[in-house]
Amino acid sequence: MILAGTRKGLFLLRSEDRRTWTVEEPTLEGWDVFHAVQDPRDGSLYAAANNWVYGATVQRSTDNGKTWTRAEGLGLPEDSGLKLEKSWHVEPGRESEPGRVWLGAAPGVMFRSDDSGESFEVVESLLNEPTRERWQPGAGGMCTHSIQLDPQDENLMYIGISAAGVFRSEDGGESWTPKNKGTAADFMPDDPFPELGQCVHKLLLHPGQDGRLWQQNHCGVYRTDDRGENWERLEGNGLPSGFGFPLALDHRRPDAAFVVPEIGAENRVTPDGRLGVYRTEDGGKSWELASAGLPDPGWVSVKRESMASDRLDTPGTYLGTQSGSIFVSPNAGDEWIEAAGQLPEVLSVETGEWQ
Amino acid sequence: MAVVLLPGLLATQAGGKNRFEVDASSVAEALRALPISDLIFDEAGGLRGLVNVYVDGKDMRTREGLDTPLAGEEEIRIVAAIAGGSCSSS
Repeated sequence: MILAGTRKGLFLLRSEDRRTWTVEEPTLEGWDVFHAVQDPRDGSLYAAANNWVYGATVQRSTDNGKTWTRAEGLGLPEDSGLKLEKSWHVEPGRESEPGRVWLGAAPGVMFRSDDSGESFEVVESLLNEPTRERWQPGAGGMCTHSIQLDPQDENLMYIGISAAGVFRSEDGGESWTPKNKGTAADFMPDDPFPELGQCVHKLLLHPGQDGRLWQQNHCGVYRTDDRGENWERLEGNGLPSGFGFPLALDHRRPDAAFVVPEIGAENRVTPDGRLGVYRTEDGGKSWELASAGLPDPGWVSVKRESMASDRLDTPGTYLGTQSGSIFVSPNAGDEWIEAAGQLPEVLSVETGEWQ
Repeated sequence: MAVVLLPGLLATQAGGKNRFEVDASSVAEALRALPISDLIFDEAGGLRGLVNVYVDGKDMRTREGLDTPLAGEEEIRIVAAIAGGSCSSS
């Protein structure tokens, strides 16, 4: 199953073989679904759903999207002086943490639920992070868009905020430390390698190699092998641009990653007149175009949440475009199939199992 | 009892019900009694900027706003402001 969050609701796509897909009727109609994900612990669906009139919500469905329940009282405390702007990313907790769900939101905040999304409490440590006054909103607002939980260490987690950077917590979210060493902020010419303020676009933790994370940033593609202590810039060597938003990994191969570069910050469209997915299989030392079956010519954009990979033995890779197509590679980028077209602008792509 | 009418998206969020009878002495009290009050008020308690409210066909801002008193027979209609064409709405 594919969960495609769009500007006009959530679409679920079903397939038995990852080649032929059926698009179900949309749900959460009228909502901008910034991100939707299936909780692998119980199969329920969560959606970070926003509406320009009625605000930011997180919603849960236990019947494959037929009906939804909105979390109660989602908002920021009045004494913070902040108001909730958008909900961005839902991250179900670990298998060992029943009921726990994390929500990333703007402006640079997180929430935690311990009752399967019925209610959420703001993460005070991030709300009151001492460096907050040095954070700047990116074009999409100051969004907490990436939440990554270490699969082994229950106290270890990482978040990405645009444009504050990457933060690590070693105490389950009670405190945070910026982890941006080696990550550029070229848009700050007076200090291009600051402690924080970097514009991370997407952050993913590899599930099988301790301490390895990948990052697509406003200023390059990066990898760390030491839990974010040091980041190595990986562009060049076949990658036409360091600028882009989405990122996908291969759960079996820690050295494999997929990005969709764009020309640059001033022209956010894929380069060379095609939809180009670039793949590395050597940890970012070299990149190759892996776009067989993707539009060429094409001038396309893929948003930060609109790329995903599944956990099957031969991993599939998935992407959605702002022009409303969903593409699937059932073989880690060797070929791509259009699973759906003429959808509204795709804001997020995740995979799951039809219940 | 005053009657509150919801637009389609709010009705969906209210479990499919678009008409609520409320016993309230003001517009604010009537709106806060709705199961979707969190969608029309922000966390600080303010009415969201693009939510318009009409009482018996009159924009409540031409009366006493949220403090508009209710005698008990009014029809309150919630209407989303016209925002077509903006990047975030279209």
